[in-house]
Amino acid sequence: MSAAAPALAKEPRRTVAMRLADPAAMLAYVSLAFGLLLVLFPLGFPHIIIRNWQNARLTPIMILFTVSLNLGLYLTITYQRSARPGIIASACLGSVPVFVLAALNLVLQATITHTFSGNIPNAPARVDEEILAQTYFAIVAAIFAPFLLIRLGQQFHKSNQ
Amino acid sequence: MGAPGIHQLAADWMSAKWLLWISLYAGLGIVLPWCMTRAWANQHKSDLRPRVRQVFQYGELGLVGLMMAISVIWDLQKSGYTSYTIALGSVFLAMSGIMAGAVWVEAYCRRNTGIRFTSHRAWRDSRNLALLVFSLALVTEILLDRFSKVTGL
Repeated sequence: MSAAAPALAKEPRRTVAMRLADPAAMLAYVSLAFGLLLVLFPLGFPHIIIRNWQNARLTPIMILFTVSLNLGLYLTITYQRSARPGIIASACLGSVPVFVLAALNLVLQATITHTFSGNIPNAPARVDEEILAQTYFAIVAAIFAPFLLIRLGQQFHKSNQ
Repeated sequence: MGAPGIHQLAADWMSAKWLLWISLYAGLGIVLPWCMTRAWANQHKSDLRPRVRQVFQYGELGLVGLMMAISVIWDLQKSGYTSYTIALGSVFLAMSGIMAGAVWVEAYCRRNTGIRFTSHRAWRDSRNLALLVFSLALVTEILLDRFSKVTGL
């Protein structure tokens, strides 16, 4: 009876190890959806983005979208691999998109100032396109950057061990 | 009535040129090597019938992704976007391209040093990262197309 006890004892679950290929597939689908919306609704979709940017709602919406997507993906992978989520990785997934999107919002402000300050023809239409492009790149960065940091952190931890 | 129709058609076709551009990469980078493998097997009366997955089992798709990223960065550099947007787009494309290429490098190193290598993992990683580069390239080309229309006004 006593010999069976160690066999029945639960092995502590290891922290999930992320690979960049995991978020890459999801990010590719998000990116394709963005492209599809641009092709199917060439006026309506950009108009929604620009209107939300003008109302200062775009960055909070993007933060909510990317953080929930990142955490959802992380928990799904954790569940699939029967591992436990790491605290630092979760904190990274929750905070890095906020910093990235806030920083890129400042870059967008600088871009708009730069476009309007130069005597460029058709400046308002150019600004709309710049907002659209930078929104797309910001979504990509906010999804990919936390996973890249987690991956680099894992490599660093492994080489230290 | 005929002439404007032709112009309209030409304009519509030109606006879809990113589709042709991306199919060239998919065709020449993925389908052509696979077809050539089959043609070689047929020519040499071999039973070799590899699937796409087997042709790219050492992560070669990552190299296709890296090539694609380089060409889109080149297009982005030539565009009329502000330097901020060009820098952002180039950095993200370069990062994803390098990550895709690194899958092949890792697979090569693992195979040559005898450290545990699984072709399944190399294929999955390279496929996912190449898909990411492919989608980034596609959307960037759509954005470039839109921007060229605005600057042409």
